[in-house]
Amino acid sequence: MIYSSELIKGTLKTIVLKLLADNKKMYGYEITQKVKELTGDRIQITEGALYPSLHALENEGLLTTETEFIGKRVRKYYSLSPSGKVKTREKLNEFTEFMNTMKILLDIRTA
Amino acid sequence: MYPLSEKQIDFILNDIRARGVEMEDLQYNLLDHICCIIEQNLGENGDFEAFYNKTIRSFYKKELWEIEEETISLIIFKNYYTMKKIMLYSGISSAALVVAGIILKFLHLPGASAMLVLGVSLSSLIFLPMLFILKIKERQSSRDKLILGLGTLSAMALSLGILFKVMHWPFANILGLSSVLILVVLFLPIYFFTGIRNPDTKVNTIVSSMLLIIGCGLFMALIRAPRGSLLLKIRDTQDYLNTQRILENERKLKVHYTKTDTASALNTLTVKIDRNCESIKAFILQMQIGSGRLPADFEKNERYIEEGSLGYHPFLSDSPAYGDYQTLCQAIREYNILAGTSGIALTKIQTTNTFIDHLENSNFSLVTYLGILNELTQIQMLVLQNQGLQKAE
Repeated sequence: MIYSSELIKGTLKTIVLKLLADNKKMYGYEITQKVKELTGDRIQITEGALYPSLHALENEGLLTTETEFIGKRVRKYYSLSPSGKVKTREKLNEFTEFMNTMKILLDIRTA
Repeated sequence: MYPLSEKQIDFILNDIRARGVEMEDLQYNLLDHICCIIEQNLGENGDFEAFYNKTIRSFYKKELWEIEEETISLIIFKNYYTMKKIMLYSGISSAALVVAGIILKFLHLPGASAMLVLGVSLSSLIFLPMLFILKIKERQSSRDKLILGLGTLSAMALSLGILFKVMHWPFANILGLSSVLILVVLFLPIYFFTGIRNPDTKVNTIVSSMLLIIGCGLFMALIRAPRGSLLLKIRDTQDYLNTQRILENERKLKVHYTKTDTASALNTLTVKIDRNCESIKAFILQMQIGSGRLPADFEKNERYIEEGSLGYHPFLSDSPAYGDYQTLCQAIREYNILAGTSGIALTKIQTTNTFIDHLENSNFSLVTYLGILNELTQIQMLVLQNQGLQKAE
């Protein structure tokens, strides 16, 4: 089962932040692959959603970047800035609360 | 793993650019991403082109630049599109207003200055700043941002400076000069040395820099040199001084022919006109050179009368010279009526095409302080001569 992009959209920033918290530095393709691997292909982040979010997070000062030149290619690695680390904790807490609330709201009984 | 050649990498980068992605950062991110996918998923002897086309197609819904638009809207603000619209519409309307204003100006029709003011204000205070805000986010290095900022600032100062000059408003020269200074002293060096380092932009940078220097040079050539301004001021002030001397000579001559009859209507009006002309002149001189009389050695003390257009009415009700000016106008009307009376052969005081008419018709751009001074002196000389002619009969 592949989740709808609407469901993923609201959590994309949280996903990216958490992955970077666990993996120090990553580049775009690596992030998409990691998400696929961790979710058993059930969540596939599209390029059209990933890069805008990465640029926005960088712009907010949550990510720092370093570039690596591979011949004619430029690979941009993303990692968390100090404020990004704080933000990641906030986002994760928020999302946990959100899931708990949704469980109550939608009356989902976990086994 | 498929081995990508440099040529293929170039091809992909050019294709990303051709599909409308302008942000360099995003271009390289996408390039690396596609390269990774191809290397990981295409067999060693696979069909590069077909696989590439399939891959890139999966990146977007309609066009690739959707990604960039999404990026910009996330980065800048939710109202990115509104801003873009405002920028476009303000740009179009200011261009239209300026063109219409210029046509009206050359046809000497009303509304020209209103349109020019509106058009230039719109372009320099809304269009240019909007353009700057929208473009600055797309630039990566702080050097590029600085170049963009300096260019915008200079363009704003230049267009406002020219507008102020045309409208005879203050600070026009300062605005114009500072725009050229920003352009030549700050913008050009940064732009030039950034541009020539990159082999791709080297030739373009050199050509644009030269065009810029020539343009600034031509602009500066339009400006009168300080020495030229000074000579003109000296000439005009000398001119007034000479006229004033002739008037004083006439006053001395008058002693010889005026004996009695001081109570006649003509004499009363002559004295009134002469006195009010003199007080208005003193008022203007006070403003211009800080004393009510122009000294013969004005050049030594650097006291000059400016020749610039006024652009406003100098004798409105809040002006100290208001009363004198009203009295003078009334006296001139009475004088001219008297001049038409039979038995008295007087030359009437002409107000046509003088500052009196121009002020009446609000043609303030035709009025200068120097003109007022000279025209008042002419009126004084005329009434004195009329008095002399009366006596001579």
